[in-house]
Amino acid sequence: MPIHDDRMLDFVSNSATQTKRLGVRLGELLQPGDLMCLEGDLGAGKTCLARGISRGWGASRSATSPTFTLVNEYRRTSDSLPLFHVDCYRLRGPRDALEIGLDDVLDQPGVVMIEWPERIADILPSERLWITLRWSATTKRGFYLAASGQRYQELLADFRRSAFGG
Amino acid sequence: MIRILGIETSCDETAAAVVADGCTILSNVVASQIELHAQYGGVFPELASRAHIETIYPVIQEAMKTAHLGWDDLDAIAVTRGPGLAGSLLVGVNTAKGLALGRGMPLLGINHLEAHFYSIWLTEAADKFKFPLLGLIVSGGHTELVLMVDHGEYQHLGRTVDDAAGEAFDKVGRLLGLSYPGGPAVQKAALEGDPAAFRFPRAWLGDSSDFSFSGLKTAVLRQVRKLDEEEQVMPVADLAASFQAAVVDVLAAKTARAAAEFDATAVVLVGGVSANLALRESVRAQVDRPVHAPPVSLCTDNGAMIAACGYWRFQAGQRDGWDMDVLPGLELA
Repeated sequence: MPIHDDRMLDFVSNSATQTKRLGVRLGELLQPGDLMCLEGDLGAGKTCLARGISRGWGASRSATSPTFTLVNEYRRTSDSLPLFHVDCYRLRGPRDALEIGLDDVLDQPGVVMIEWPERIADILPSERLWITLRWSATTKRGFYLAASGQRYQELLADFRRSAFGG
Repeated sequence: MIRILGIETSCDETAAAVVADGCTILSNVVASQIELHAQYGGVFPELASRAHIETIYPVIQEAMKTAHLGWDDLDAIAVTRGPGLAGSLLVGVNTAKGLALGRGMPLLGINHLEAHFYSIWLTEAADKFKFPLLGLIVSGGHTELVLMVDHGEYQHLGRTVDDAAGEAFDKVGRLLGLSYPGGPAVQKAALEGDPAAFRFPRAWLGDSSDFSFSGLKTAVLRQVRKLDEEEQVMPVADLAASFQAAVVDVLAAKTARAAAEFDATAVVLVGGVSANLALRESVRAQVDRPVHAPPVSLCTDNGAMIAACGYWRFQAGQRDGWDMDVLPGLELA
């Protein structure tokens, strides 16, 4: 696994199960206010990773695709804090995002995961963890994590230790 | 005779209906927002709420007028409180509260998924059904396999772990350049196609009654990309037919297996995707007991099923208070 620096990490997941497990590791480390951007084509594994993250966060029910409703909310069992799972697949730009009240979601005391974030990049906070997923073979997926801001560099370092022990 | 007004605004249909004794439809009015959302290729929540606000009163007035009833002729008001889009649900629930409070009528908050079961009581005599009934609820937002043990009593057997069946139809329809909503468009394209032309994966998930359509969607995407790269003419009909067959195979087989395992007296096939003829045929062919699939006007979202469900809850003496709130994430059992 090549390690670039504190702000970047890339690795390959060999199966959906592994992707989900890595998501759990990441979800366990999240704090209220954290923002995860999940970029990748249809079928790249965004929802699979999101399911792991929400489980790691402690959500009481399993995350499913948010495409139909655009925003799904999952409360964790321990303290009822929300995790918002947002899908921008059908949005045409930042204006649409404001129309569906995304600015309200970002202001809430919870974790936010956004699929297809590149469609609304202009209105997203500059500090975040940006995860790019790439399809490489039937079950293999490439992951590229980029941290912007102090909090996310710490999160990335914690995740590296938790997932890879490095 | 008990007459109940049913109001439904959980997603993109503004609907109201009056039903007598939980089985006779006196009126059933639905204002669809499909055209409004078509430009986005899917339901847009904020727009949906606004459209509900504009349409809800005319729709209710039309339902009352068609039923030839005055407000004093109603016994209760039933309204969907979840699951669904929060803003859309609020329009229906607040309207129902206002009407019920103003007219001094009982208020009943209804689970949309439960109400889907009650559409069959609108098509056949009530004494025809014996429990347990197995329900396959398939739509844009739901893919659920539920056992109805008795009125108001449910056992959840399975659901999708990723995309809903209707959502898979929408996404594949979009990939194939078909119109929104994807369900009817893919079904139409599939008519001319060979369901065996492409061997798309079926996610059986072992013995589980859960469903997964994400891998299938990805397989269709890879196939489309490959054909694109080879600069071939896109065989849209074959792709649509092969995709549809993969969805239908899994839905029908899991339904048949659950019906036998739980010894259901019959299978109830409801939700928007249940309008798909290939699905109806396949479920009928594989399930070794009666299959009840209501007409399209009753298997898609409507107020009549809400009123019918409300009737049974009304008769059981259940009432909801003025503090009743919407429950966007409501589940069944």
